[in-house]
Amino acid sequence: MLKETERQTAGSQDIALYVHVPFCRHKCNYCSFVSYSHRESDIPAYVSALQEELALSAAGQRVSSLYFGGGTPSLLSPQQVGDILSTIRSLFKIDEAAETTLEANPGTVDRPYLAAISASGVNRLSLGVQSLHDDELKLLGRIHTSVEAKNAMRCARRAGFSNLNLDLIYGLPGQTLSSWQNTLNEAIELGAEHLSLYALKLEGDEPLYEAIERGEVPPPDPDLSADQYELAEELLAAHSYQHYEISNWAREGRECRHNLVYWHNMPYLGIGVAAHSYLDGHRFANTRDLDRYLKALSHDVPLIREMSEEIGPKMKLAETVILGLRLNSGVRLDDIRARFSVDLRDRYHQEIDELTCLGLLENDAGGIRLTSRGRLLANEAFWRFLPE
Amino acid sequence: MDQSITRNFCIIAHIDHGKSTLADRLIEMTGAMRSEDIREQVLDSMDLERERGITIKAKAIRLNYQARDGKSYRLNLVDTPGHVDFSYEVSRTIASCEGAVLVIDATQGIQAQTLANIYLAMEHKLEVIPAINKIDLPGSEPERVLDEIESVLGYDRESVLFISAKTGQGVPLLLEEIVRRIPPPRGSPDMPLRALIFDSHYDSYKGVVAYLRVADGQIAKGDDLRLMGQGTEMETLEVGYFAPGPCPTDGLSAGDVGYIATGLKYVGECRVGDTVTSLINGATEPLIGYRPAKPMVFAGIYPAVADDYRDLREAMEKLSLNDASLSYEPESSPLLGHGFRCGFLGLLHLDIVCERLEREFSLSLVVTTPGVSFLVTKSNGEKLTIINPTDMPSPAEIEKLEEPWVAISIITPSKFIGSLMELIMECGGSYKRTEYLGQAKTLGELGQRVQLEYEIPLRSMLTTFYDQLKSRSRGYASLDYEFLGYRKANLVKLDVLVNEVLADAFSRIIPPDKAHEVGKAMVFNLKKDIPRQLFKVPLQAAVGGRIVARADIPAKRKDVLAKCYGGDITRKRKLLEKQKEGKKKMKIIGHVEIPREAFMNVLKLN
Repeated sequence: MLKETERQTAGSQDIALYVHVPFCRHKCNYCSFVSYSHRESDIPAYVSALQEELALSAAGQRVSSLYFGGGTPSLLSPQQVGDILSTIRSLFKIDEAAETTLEANPGTVDRPYLAAISASGVNRLSLGVQSLHDDELKLLGRIHTSVEAKNAMRCARRAGFSNLNLDLIYGLPGQTLSSWQNTLNEAIELGAEHLSLYALKLEGDEPLYEAIERGEVPPPDPDLSADQYELAEELLAAHSYQHYEISNWAREGRECRHNLVYWHNMPYLGIGVAAHSYLDGHRFANTRDLDRYLKALSHDVPLIREMSEEIGPKMKLAETVILGLRLNSGVRLDDIRARFSVDLRDRYHQEIDELTCLGLLENDAGGIRLTSRGRLLANEAFWRFLPE
Repeated sequence: MDQSITRNFCIIAHIDHGKSTLADRLIEMTGAMRSEDIREQVLDSMDLERERGITIKAKAIRLNYQARDGKSYRLNLVDTPGHVDFSYEVSRTIASCEGAVLVIDATQGIQAQTLANIYLAMEHKLEVIPAINKIDLPGSEPERVLDEIESVLGYDRESVLFISAKTGQGVPLLLEEIVRRIPPPRGSPDMPLRALIFDSHYDSYKGVVAYLRVADGQIAKGDDLRLMGQGTEMETLEVGYFAPGPCPTDGLSAGDVGYIATGLKYVGECRVGDTVTSLINGATEPLIGYRPAKPMVFAGIYPAVADDYRDLREAMEKLSLNDASLSYEPESSPLLGHGFRCGFLGLLHLDIVCERLEREFSLSLVVTTPGVSFLVTKSNGEKLTIINPTDMPSPAEIEKLEEPWVAISIITPSKFIGSLMELIMECGGSYKRTEYLGQAKTLGELGQRVQLEYEIPLRSMLTTFYDQLKSRSRGYASLDYEFLGYRKANLVKLDVLVNEVLADAFSRIIPPDKAHEVGKAMVFNLKKDIPRQLFKVPLQAAVGGRIVARADIPAKRKDVLAKCYGGDITRKRKLLEKQKEGKKKMKIIGHVEIPREAFMNVLKLN
């Protein structure tokens, strides 16, 4: 729960609003996110809890973007999505042009469903397509086929969505450069306004990781995934997609405004299990435990924070630079000066020199940005900006 | 004091043949301690000794024994270190006794150190009482061992005792035989003082405490003393004996074994083997030729974390207070930072020192590959002793290179002779002699027991020699060695270059025909353990300017966190913080970040 002071100050700012839906029909083999399978019967209670938490957190803030992430938000019925959106509208000031995204699993949606959520106010759909090869989808443990994914895309168009994102994964065990090229070409052909390309990242507890450990599946090849990334850069540029962030490409004007809030290190409020917030220099996250979350909100007891920390000025500057460097536009000197009264090139003189020498960073008239090599080796640039 | 009731003796045995257990039993049976007070193996006071089953420092205990002849005897039991590395200390212990109990395991028979010890005892004309131990064990073969003692060592069958140090069986008779067979000390209390130091340790209250055997004359509290070998002068702050705790007394006289507290700060000032005499009107001849124990094996010891250098220095100082055989001098390495080049009596000594540094001083260490000292005569006539491979001059500058050789004696069942000979030949050993010791029943198809004698470069014993010896003989072979001297050597320095920069700590001195093989293994291991960098890193092994092996680490291409899950920036930041921390722990050479495991694995590589 927000403290009183946070509510007051929060009221004066523009925020992004994130709603987490931690349910999945089947947990994917590569997933280490907070999501629960076989708990769909809890969805009604969860929706009530979300509304409860929204009411507790609201202080009349202006909301510039809304994002339903998961898990699988498309497991919510159109009615439930509509109810949540109504609650939000009643509690916050929503920008007229607000971007409202919902993540959907292609295996859970049909045209009537998509038409219904479009009608309730969702204006951007993010489809978790991942791959357009059935063997790869099977390896990932997805519940849909490539045909179903393409179908979902068409249904979305017919349902009126003019702002579509596809999530795709590369760096898969057994995935070749040419199978990735196929997936990309088909995605381009489908004409999505936005593409998020994520490299497979295994943390150690996913079924796919275990399969690699057992030797059943070949380990991912980091050099191949670098090749795949470079191929994507080339291919997408040729089809007028702007590479505006390390993992994100968009047609002009179709950048994901919600995610830009993260990269610009601006405030956001997260609602739901495991949702993260950043308000007034304070990062915090809700409990990852669905039962505890439901219990807290149904019994009106304080929510348990999974994490809560004050971001001091030094860390805030570091985070702003690190997050900003993810963007193709890089970090702007005047922006840093305005927000921190700091000369960026002065403060990070040594780091900038070193990274420029290493070919990871480049200076332009108004600031600094990663080179194309730097985008692939971004962590090597980022850690250098962390305070001691 | 009547010298005729004194008996000074030690127990000599191969490792694990039951020396310390027998000492415990003697202490218990003479009533110096009640059995319930005996923590098993009283004489081994360091935890490390107890764990490894070896005795590192000799100590002496006075036992009062009521013999069957009705007289009360004073038995001084001097404990000996039980490992080859400490043969010099063993020899000084033996020199301070008139007799020795030779303990031989009834299940194993004569082993390499049994022989080494018996030769030392014979050299000092000790009365030896052979005792076959562990006769209570089911696998024991006392009769077979008896045959061996008769045929190999030449003792009468009748002179050999059968005991179980564990149960006490046969120990009462052993005590009687100690009194009957071992002669009382000679020497006169009226002659000028001469006492042999056979051990010493540092005590923070009393300074160096020296264990000694008085041969002639007397020592009383307050006496001014001088060491004949080292010239150290000191005052007797306290004099006494152990029974088993320290018992201060008025004085020690000819024939006695006891201790003096000297107030000295370093055991190095009061070394084992030196003769103590009076400062005024002292003796003219020492008891035995004094030579300080010389380090034979050298290695660099560095703190794993550079900030710990001061702690390491303090720890080395403290440790050397108590260990005169440990030598150390500061050195620094671009790769490892500041540390010490240390000299040890042998590999076990090195292990013990490192374990004590890590255990008693909570230090985390990096230890370089152990090596020997080389004598180099340069073309310009200059002579050098090289204890750090890095300091080896280039081949063109070397006129003559010499390395230490040792005589080794191995006792093994005959079945393994072929494999062991092969091992020794691979190590560049030269054959001296084979002796058949006789058939052992327990060995069965493994054949007779054989003693092999070879001479080999000490250098080749510092790698996997001992482990190989044990594995090739299924654990049966035992080993003893003795320093022979320096001999001409044909060796080269193998260097490792990381990104064209010499990684000094990895340099090794090896035979030229091994350069390619060793070099390849080293660069291969480094490649395996060094994470990919932002640029391509060549790894090279070189002799002089010649590259003998090479491996390249390709540049890292991808290191980026992709998905920002629900705005979880903190998690991303924590991962970056971890990455940053990890970088700090790496050693940097040639701009290459080398994780600790990488250089540890190469240093350990044999």
